[in-house]
Amino acid sequence: MTTFRILPVIENRRLGPYTLLRIKDVGIHKYAGCGQFVMVGLSFLRDPFLLRPLSFLSVDNDSFSLLIKIKGRGTEMLSMVKPGEYLKVLGPLGRTILPGEKGILIAGGIGIAPLFYQSQWMRGGVLLYGAKDKRELVLVKEMEDRGLVVKTITEEKGGTVCDLVMENIALLKGQRVFICGPVAMIKSLREIIRDYTRETFVYLERRMGCGIGGCKSCAIKTGYGYKFVCQDGPVFPLEEVEIG
Amino acid sequence: MADLSVSFTGIELKNPVMLASGVWDLPYTELIDFEKLGGIVYKSISLSSREGNPPPRLTEIPCGVINSIGLANKGIENFNKEILPQLKDLGTEVFVSIFGESIEEFAELTSRITDVSGIEVNISCPNVKEGGLLFGADPDIAYNVTKAVCSNTDLPVIVKLTPEAVDIVKVALSVKEAGASAITASNTFQGLVIDIETHKPIFRRITGGVSGPAIRPLSLYKAYQITRAVDIPVIGSGGITDWMDALEYFFVGVSAIEVGSAIFNNPLAPIEIIDNINRYMDENEYKNILEMKGEVNEERC
Ligand SMILES: Cc1cc2nc3c(=O)[nH]c(=O)nc-3n(C[C@H](O)[C@H](O)[C@H](O)COP(=O)(O)OP(=O)(O)OC[C@H]3O[C@@H](n4cnc5c(N)ncnc54)[C@H](O)[C@@H]3O)c2cc1C
Ligand SMILES: Cc1cc2nc3c(=O)[nH]c(=O)nc-3n(C[C@H](O)[C@H](O)[C@H](O)COP(=O)(O)O)c2cc1C
Ligand code: FES
Repeated sequence: MTTFRILPVIENRRLGPYTLLRIKDVGIHKYAGCGQFVMVGLSFLRDPFLLRPLSFLSVDNDSFSLLIKIKGRGTEMLSMVKPGEYLKVLGPLGRTILPGEKGILIAGGIGIAPLFYQSQWMRGGVLLYGAKDKRELVLVKEMEDRGLVVKTITEEKGGTVCDLVMENIALLKGQRVFICGPVAMIKSLREIIRDYTRETFVYLERRMGCGIGGCKSCAIKTGYGYKFVCQDGPVFPLEEVEIG
Repeated sequence: MADLSVSFTGIELKNPVMLASGVWDLPYTELIDFEKLGGIVYKSISLSSREGNPPPRLTEIPCGVINSIGLANKGIENFNKEILPQLKDLGTEVFVSIFGESIEEFAELTSRITDVSGIEVNISCPNVKEGGLLFGADPDIAYNVTKAVCSNTDLPVIVKLTPEAVDIVKVALSVKEAGASAITASNTFQGLVIDIETHKPIFRRITGGVSGPAIRPLSLYKAYQITRAVDIPVIGSGGITDWMDALEYFFVGVSAIEVGSAIFNNPLAPIEIIDNINRYMDENEYKNILEMKGEVNEERC
């Protein structure tokens, strides 16, 4: 059930270089599914005009959380919202996916947000997680507490997430793999893991107008013509989509 | 209670607020109570399916958006079979927008449309066969398109003009002459955005159509010029996001309005506009939309 509502922020705190916003929404856990996202904007403002797509980070009985990386004006303004202030929220949006009990998650940077949410449904599995520096590696302990084996790497020391994947390539054999991170990372990983995994899925980003399948602006080229990230995604089988 | 219904040239709406073409599709039925809307204009349909432009297709500008969707649609056959039956169940007046690459295509498309409350003719698209100039840029070509559509249907024909016409009033006069029942004023303005990293236009097709609050005064002026010069009903479109924007359009004399990009910022905007126009009319003792229309006071020194 997708709705558009004005909801209060109840918490705003830093998490590494990111902002964690908690938004009050009683009953949201009943209809927010794995893989889904919301469109969020500052209430009553016409500029920024568009709402911004953000993945669920976590969902419980009376609230949900978002993890925001400042990219431009929209995310900067959202990360300054104070508890007690209100946001426009459209969602849940996108197709729900089957998380699978185990599997391999590969995260680059802020790509951790939807994968952390996905791990809520998982029992074990492995997280391969790369970031720029140590401060950017967030939620590692929480993922371990959920039973995942977490392996990390930073560009400061060690290399990129692709290096980490190569080191651990044997783990991917015959597994279901989920990737979320920058386009360049997805492109390189595609080559590296091609012959190993059973199935690979990727969380994609696109500039969105409506977020709900109305405007046809979030098109992505697939083997079956254009599909829409907000409606058919945001999670796609990696071999189906053209990246970049 | 004020009477919000409007009726003009074969078109009857329970209120004067419509959803504009191209910004919405069926998933919005989950969000908006369509029964409350005066009417809906479905996105522009062509004879055969078109996949649309390569991404990116849309980006934000100050107070608005710019799009290069490329009129993606699945063609008239799919519309008649799959979409129209669902639209007919929504409890509001259904209009379909059409476009073609040639005048012959407009004519054929028109002959395949039945069972709607009217046709909106999108002449803001390029005349591919004759060198790519917008059909709506030239009064003579606009006349020919309108004539071709009107002679192939008994349905009300609304012609949606492009603000890119050198003289939009001349185009308005000629589509009226050709038999249009009403005019929508107007479509998006052409604009350009450059990616400062690549030094290239962000869209592959270079330009895009600008919409949203950013264009409201520009579009309103087009509507104003047309209502003054042409005596067929005008439907206002361009930058309407709330009831006050809508009133500006009514005061220059439009008969109805279309809400477009505003739904990206607030999907409930069309409903809030209807409720607030209702409240405004009650508070100011307007009994119907006609009383409120065209009240603009032009005495200025
Ligand atoms: C389904 C989905 C889920 C997302 N989840 C998260 C999340 O959990 N946390 C998070 O921090 N970010 C997430 N994003 C990305 C986030 O939406 C963008 O960073 C944000 O919209 C940028 O807005 P801005 O105003 O800050 O930047 P702008 O000033 O609008 O743009 C800054 C730069 O970001 C690019 N950009 C803008 N919007 C997008 C977009 N939607 N996708 C990719 N690039 C974009 C622009 O091209 C530009 O280069 C998600 C995106 C999608 C599509
Ligand atoms: C994403 C998008 C797609 C559009 N598609 C169409 C279309 O298919 N046919 C059409 O006549 N107008 C189309 N328009 C124009 C709108 O219907 C409207 O006339 C215009 O955006 C100005 O109004 P607004 O500022 O309220 O959006 C589109 C606009 C946008 C933003
Ligand atoms: S953002 Fe409008 S269709 Fe996907």
